[in-house]
Amino acid sequence: MRAIPTLKISISGVRGVIGDSLTPALLTRFAQAFGTYVSSGTIVIGRDTRTSGEMVRQAVVAGLLSSGCRVIDLDVCPVPTVQLIVRERHAHGGIAITASHNPAEWNALKFINSDGLFLSLGQARELLDIYHQGDYTKVTGSVMRGVETFTGALDAHINAIINEVGALPKTSRRLRVALDSCNGAGSVIAPGLIETLGAEVVAINTTPDGSFPRGAEPIPENLTGLCRLVKASGADAGFAQDMDADRLAVVAETGEPIGEEYTLALATRYVLSRTPGPVVTNLSTSWLMDDVTRMFECPLHRSKIGEVNVTEMMQQVGAVIGGEGNGGVIYPRINYCRDSQVGIALILRLLAETGRTVTELVSGLPRYKMIKEKLECPSHRIGEVLKMIRSQYADHPVDLRDGVKVSFEDGWLHVRGSNTEPIIRLIAEAGDETKARQMLNGAAERIVRLLK
Amino acid sequence: MKPLKIGITGVRGIVGETFTPELAIAFAQAFAAYLDGGRILVCRDTRPSGPMVRAAVMAGLLAAGCEAVDLDVCPTPAMQLAVKHLNARGGISITAGHNPSQWNALKFVRDDGLYLNAAQAEELLDIFHQGEFAKAKWNEIQTRIETVDAIDHHIGVLKSVFDTAAIRARKLTVAVDCCNGACAKLSPRWLEELGCTVLAINDDIAAPFPHNPEPKRETMAQLRAVVKAGRADIGFAHDADGERLGIVTETGEPLSEEMTLALATEIKLSRTPGTVVTNISTTQAIEKIASRHNSNVIRTPVGAAYISEAILDHNAVIGGEGNGAVVIPEVHATSDSAATIGLMLEQIAKTGERVSELAANLPRYAMLKHYVEVAPNLLFSVLNDVRRDAEKTDAGDIDLSDGIRLSWMDGWLHIRASNTESMIRVIAEAEDEGRANDLMAWAKDRLR
Repeated sequence: MRAIPTLKISISGVRGVIGDSLTPALLTRFAQAFGTYVSSGTIVIGRDTRTSGEMVRQAVVAGLLSSGCRVIDLDVCPVPTVQLIVRERHAHGGIAITASHNPAEWNALKFINSDGLFLSLGQARELLDIYHQGDYTKVTGSVMRGVETFTGALDAHINAIINEVGALPKTSRRLRVALDSCNGAGSVIAPGLIETLGAEVVAINTTPDGSFPRGAEPIPENLTGLCRLVKASGADAGFAQDMDADRLAVVAETGEPIGEEYTLALATRYVLSRTPGPVVTNLSTSWLMDDVTRMFECPLHRSKIGEVNVTEMMQQVGAVIGGEGNGGVIYPRINYCRDSQVGIALILRLLAETGRTVTELVSGLPRYKMIKEKLECPSHRIGEVLKMIRSQYADHPVDLRDGVKVSFEDGWLHVRGSNTEPIIRLIAEAGDETKARQMLNGAAERIVRLLK
Repeated sequence: MKPLKIGITGVRGIVGETFTPELAIAFAQAFAAYLDGGRILVCRDTRPSGPMVRAAVMAGLLAAGCEAVDLDVCPTPAMQLAVKHLNARGGISITAGHNPSQWNALKFVRDDGLYLNAAQAEELLDIFHQGEFAKAKWNEIQTRIETVDAIDHHIGVLKSVFDTAAIRARKLTVAVDCCNGACAKLSPRWLEELGCTVLAINDDIAAPFPHNPEPKRETMAQLRAVVKAGRADIGFAHDADGERLGIVTETGEPLSEEMTLALATEIKLSRTPGTVVTNISTTQAIEKIASRHNSNVIRTPVGAAYISEAILDHNAVIGGEGNGAVVIPEVHATSDSAATIGLMLEQIAKTGERVSELAANLPRYAMLKHYVEVAPNLLFSVLNDVRRDAEKTDAGDIDLSDGIRLSWMDGWLHIRASNTESMIRVIAEAEDEGRANDLMAWAKDRLR
């Protein structure tokens, strides 16, 4: 039996459990490694609302100052705000203190480069090398720099969105919006943003105290409170954010969660109606994206899983919008990162300009059923599993860039190993549940048999 | 030789070399474990590494589940008073006191506002070396650090001890050099409360130290000029964290740091005879002053904690060290330069005496100070050799309680390892310069 992992040091940063392996000493060493990596430059830091955030922030500040960095501290703010301020202030990098959708006992550091992007694979490897070598830059006390507390970051973020997306047209009916920020980083920005856009906001879970009032992921089973609020308040739409405010889910005016796959689809529909152009999403995102891009005769590119892979491809193809099916909207005119605030603005513009309800907009798109499963699998046997799947489906079109994705006439199946846990992920999508289940079960049974 | 000293006075080193954030974090965790959590106050002086060390200390305290309270830039004595006032379990002062800017250190204070004594410091070091620290779970961790001002309370305590009305009535002009240290937040305010015309220099906590933060004659040139130009009644020089005090007379004469305690002792005993506590490295003028006032002197090993304990044990009326640190027990049993200022101004105000007159009235000895840097691994053997030779001298008394102290009728010599740096300190004092030189020469011969 394998010990339950409490620490993960990888190319996506360092994640761990507070009170266990994610100690202040480890965090300060990582911050020193990053300070060394950016040659003692200016670093922007921000955090989500987790209870351990203050401790982690102190450890990070100590490490950054020790390595000669100047620190711009945004305190509690969404990750995309950190990324935006890195660019606006011409900083050399950023550190976002957040474990996204992980449970409350986790925290993590995510590293951002001078372009406001998460470190690329190569950059992350360089950082890890410095961390492991352990020989960090240390500046003497007399040249040590300090911490600037920057309180204007949230306003700067709101202004950037208003400038690029625009406030809601004055002529249209004033929209009422229900909001659930999960007591996370969105709590400190989303209500203000919605009001600045020109809509009315009714909110739950906007106390940024790090308590988890619901499951952190904005998936339908976690949104019962928001659904009730939408109905009770007669809101035109409900928006649910995760802890670090990068993912977004939408609830229709009927109080029905429409599913997080529709978030990117609706945002894309709005952007393409104004500025047609290439769109990027990952291999595991719904066929909805194919339908939406086809409506506007725009090309859709699919990348490997992982936000960095999506943003890199977006830059390559000059995408006008991109993102992930988990509710991650990436709008490059603001930021090359998932930003639920931008998602809210784009979808509210869509509602205001079309004058249609969320339900009407959703019914204008096909309905698919996506199902997800995970199977335990020792890390060293993942390759074997993927090889088997590939040969089983050899007579169908397959994409091998990230695990195996098999396309059928009426659906698709994606099998891949997790980057973070010893599991195999299976995703299937089809027009109805039976068909999707059939595809997924077929693969799952074969995998279980192989691993026996 | 790596400049790092982990000892009974805390942990001290050069930032950028040995004094790393990991070290500060580990010490904060060890201290939290030692106190078994609870409320811990943190203050710092103004050296540029202060914010880094503060962040590291906070991370360590929070990770251990403490309630950390930030006093920001604040003199150590203000933190020590606040520990009692706020019912804290302890405190950490981030300051290397009189050391140059590139140094920093952690000093540990217990719940009565006094430094850990030697035995307690040993226990803390054991926890640090064992390296197993308590870790708070996510739902036990403090989510915000409160910032509290400790200066108001400090001034309130000072006002309750000294006769502020008498001082105010005198409308004194006082020059003060805060060395851009923590006292810049306390001293000018305290002097204004006392109705003084304040001529403050180097009172910008954001600026670097204008000179070494050690109130010695050689660092008081600027203050002397201000005293003279401003016709001040007295000039005071602070260290970085508010423990040591240097004095310039109204004529512009800088007094040796040994004279601060001597002057304070003379003032105090002239009003209230009693016991004086000082360490074995401080001028014998203290005995002379005590004998004038029918008082006695208790000598301790070198270190602030020894002084505090002896003051409490002997119910002393005053205490301190020859480095300019003075303890006024009515305020608290630890050195406090703002309290020392209160005592001096109260005397000037009440008697109308001039500082130069008070100083001229003090017994004076020739004192020489010297230090030799010695590698840490050689300290013991070097001192041992000196000890063997010392036994062959004609000294009337040999005191081995802290290094080697030899005394004769007409002078004394003290050779000891520094508590804070890897060096051997030598102090020789005699009635005349020639004899002091001889004593110093004997020591230097043996430290070659």
